Amino acid sequence: MDFSLSEEQQMLSDGAEKFLAAHYSFEQRRALLSSEAGFSEQNWQTFAELGWLALAVPEDAGGLGGSFIDTILIMEAMGRRLVLEPYATTAVLATRVIAQSRNRELRSSLLSQIAQGTCRVALAHGELASRYDMRAVQTCARPEQDGYLIDGVKVMAFDAPSAHKLIVSASIADTNEIALFLLDANTLGVTVRSYPLIDGTRAADVEVAAVRVNRSSLLATGREALEVLDEAIDRLVLARVAEGLGAMEVVLQLATEHLRSRQQFGQPLIRFQALQHRLAEMFVEIQETRSILYRGLAHIEAPAAERRAAVSAAKVVAANAGRIVGEQGIQLHGGVGMTEEYQVGHYFKRLIALEKAFGDVDYHLERLAGSGKGV
Amino acid sequence: MNFEFSPEDEAFRAEVREFIRANLPAEIACDARRWFNPKVDNYRRWQGILAARGWGAPHWPPEYGGTDWSAIRRHIFMEEIYKADAPDFFWQGTHMLAPVLIAFGSADQKSRFLPKILNGEESWCQGFSEPGAGSDLATLRTAAKLEGDHYIINGQKIWTSDARESDWGFFLVRTDPTVKPQRGLSFIVARMDTPGIRIRPIRTIDGREELNEVFFDNVRVPQAQLVGEPGMGWTYAKYLLDKERTASAFLYFNKRHLQKAKALASEQFAGGVRLIDTPAFSRKVARVEADLLALEWSVLRILAQEKNKYDLNAVVSALKIRGSEMQQRVTELQIDALGPLALRHFERRDATIDDPTWMPGWPELAIGASSLFLFERAATIYGGAREVQKNIIAKLAIGS
Ligand SMILES: Cc1cc2nc3c(=O)[nH]c(=O)nc-3n(C[C@H](O)[C@H](O)[C@H](O)COP(=O)(O)OP(=O)(O)OC[C@H]3O[C@@H](n4cnc5c(N)ncnc54)[C@H](O)[C@@H]3O)c2cc1C
Repeated sequence: MDFSLSEEQQMLSDGAEKFLAAHYSFEQRRALLSSEAGFSEQNWQTFAELGWLALAVPEDAGGLGGSFIDTILIMEAMGRRLVLEPYATTAVLATRVIAQSRNRELRSSLLSQIAQGTCRVALAHGELASRYDMRAVQTCARPEQDGYLIDGVKVMAFDAPSAHKLIVSASIADTNEIALFLLDANTLGVTVRSYPLIDGTRAADVEVAAVRVNRSSLLATGREALEVLDEAIDRLVLARVAEGLGAMEVVLQLATEHLRSRQQFGQPLIRFQALQHRLAEMFVEIQETRSILYRGLAHIEAPAAERRAAVSAAKVVAANAGRIVGEQGIQLHGGVGMTEEYQVGHYFKRLIALEKAFGDVDYHLERLAGSGKGV
Repeated sequence: MNFEFSPEDEAFRAEVREFIRANLPAEIACDARRWFNPKVDNYRRWQGILAARGWGAPHWPPEYGGTDWSAIRRHIFMEEIYKADAPDFFWQGTHMLAPVLIAFGSADQKSRFLPKILNGEESWCQGFSEPGAGSDLATLRTAAKLEGDHYIINGQKIWTSDARESDWGFFLVRTDPTVKPQRGLSFIVARMDTPGIRIRPIRTIDGREELNEVFFDNVRVPQAQLVGEPGMGWTYAKYLLDKERTASAFLYFNKRHLQKAKALASEQFAGGVRLIDTPAFSRKVARVEADLLALEWSVLRILAQEKNKYDLNAVVSALKIRGSEMQQRVTELQIDALGPLALRHFERRDATIDDPTWMPGWPELAIGASSLFLFERAATIYGGAREVQKNIIAKLAIGS
């Protein structure tokens, strides 16, 4: 075993740090937060130029076909800066779904557009009644002559407001089968109702009302659709564990700096051992998160059962750590920790957003408990 | 020991319940239930309704418009208020300032201020904390210098809740820089529109702007607005904080919001089953519920004046610690119930607040749930941070 990064990986990681340090100061991020789109189109283009959008695109589709570790390194760096661009949604989740699709035409045209930064794709899958259940899809696709007629309402489609295309899941009428369709976001009959999320990113409810699509927009169907979705979401979840890890490390750093500089009772707060122990507890959580992330990485290419258990274990550990680290981060700051003007609260909000997206702790505990793939 | 409410107390409960039922306007209850965008006028109106019945400030002595209710009856009253989704009091005026005025204020101050607190005409904010003086409050620096018959105030307060909605503020200021920090403080009141007072709102992570900075630039306040004796500010501030010993449990708030969490979990489904019926979630609710039941009886033990071998201050600090953690846990349960839906951020100006057709199918209780969860992170910070409460327990109950 060797946990050190290769030279290329180190370069990728350093490069990400460096770019984000220059373009993602707290002030720069604040300006983005209040902008119309909520992120920077220019940054997105830079992501493309740096090759980040091509990391997960297979070589045969014009991508870099890098190892998943590369993606993880980028995500950790993005977590440190609370990046707002919908990177994970397009470059991890959607890219993976499309890369696994047997629709050759869509696959090659979309992936190259994604890699070039000209197309963002979001997943519109969750529904009001589905919570985290992947299979509970009420949106209906009725087979017609050369295509389907789709009807339904999706909720909490992350990053849909800025997406050019949507991957929409639907149940094929009169079957138990699920299918994944690719729709233009501006298709007539598709209504995207946007709203902000607590961490500053955007999501939308997507209404699909009597939308006709032809067979060529089908990405996957039946068992395969579920498997593709399941695997892609697992990758996303693990990538976002890395993002949370990056965020947690910064929280610890911010809290430490604050306790060093804040004076009460005639001394810096860090002199109080009770508070030092808090920092130590946060440190423990962060250590364990990195370990479970690496373990997840080791199993990401494993057969589905192992992969799923490993990802769920990672999510559970990271979400729990995120709560502890995030909450303590605010607590140790006192009143200023509660303000929008200070950084630590923004980290807390991102950590909560990570926790509640794509399976909360209960969901992943159940997946892990039922897996028979523990210790 | 006798664990029962007396039949008279139960009759009292029925009377309170009936009064609220007959007199609480539906739009005010709705506003309080939604909590997210309360209209100040509603609160003032409700305070007036209670005052007209003689219940505007049950904890004040009768001669000032209060009642002679026992602590247990006041508890029953608050339970019924919250059960009916009636607004809580404008706490800073009714519960913080008023007891100090009643104990230490001049006759003029009492007759000028108390009636308008009672009928909801004037509301108050509390300005103690400063940027450099949080947990270590005694080192605060805002200075008040006597010139003729006016105090000239210079300095800055921070975290002043509701400053912009308040007509008046009460402040701890330093009137004597030459003595021990605690001895040099005085308690003074000022209209918030006094020339030289400038208020800057602070946006918190929940997206609201309840907190403020309050700047004093040569603010002239008549000497008659100093409460009690100069140099006694610290004593009065402690009196104020000690007065409502069980308030920090936030018992009624916690009960109401646990109910909401359950309501949400009954509307949400996981794998086709109501979330509240899943073993994982129902146990999570039960876990919080067990602690809340304990907290309730901790409150009752204090209200019933149990003879306790521990210093009451340590007992009250324990209540504050658990009570503030419960505020966090009940609101956590709400976002846990909502799952991914909890991530939506609502602004007060959102059209959705008054027109839920903007979010068809969404639970109405989702509005503002994440904001409340985020705001409650402060519960373990304000009113004596958790760590400071632990220091008190260590010193008074354990003996460090
Ligand atoms: C939502 C909210 C509403 C508020 N409303 C008001 C108001 O209306 N009026 C008003 O005057 N004030 C108000 N406050 C201020 C509040 O009382 C202070 O925030 C509180 O006293 C803590 O002070 P601080 O924020 O400066 O934190 P600090 O005192 O800087 O504390 C930072 C951290 O260090 C810890 N710490 C401090 N001292 C010790 C110690 N000796 N040992 C171990 N740990 C320690 C604290 O527990 C905390 O975790 C409000 C605050 C908030 C967040």
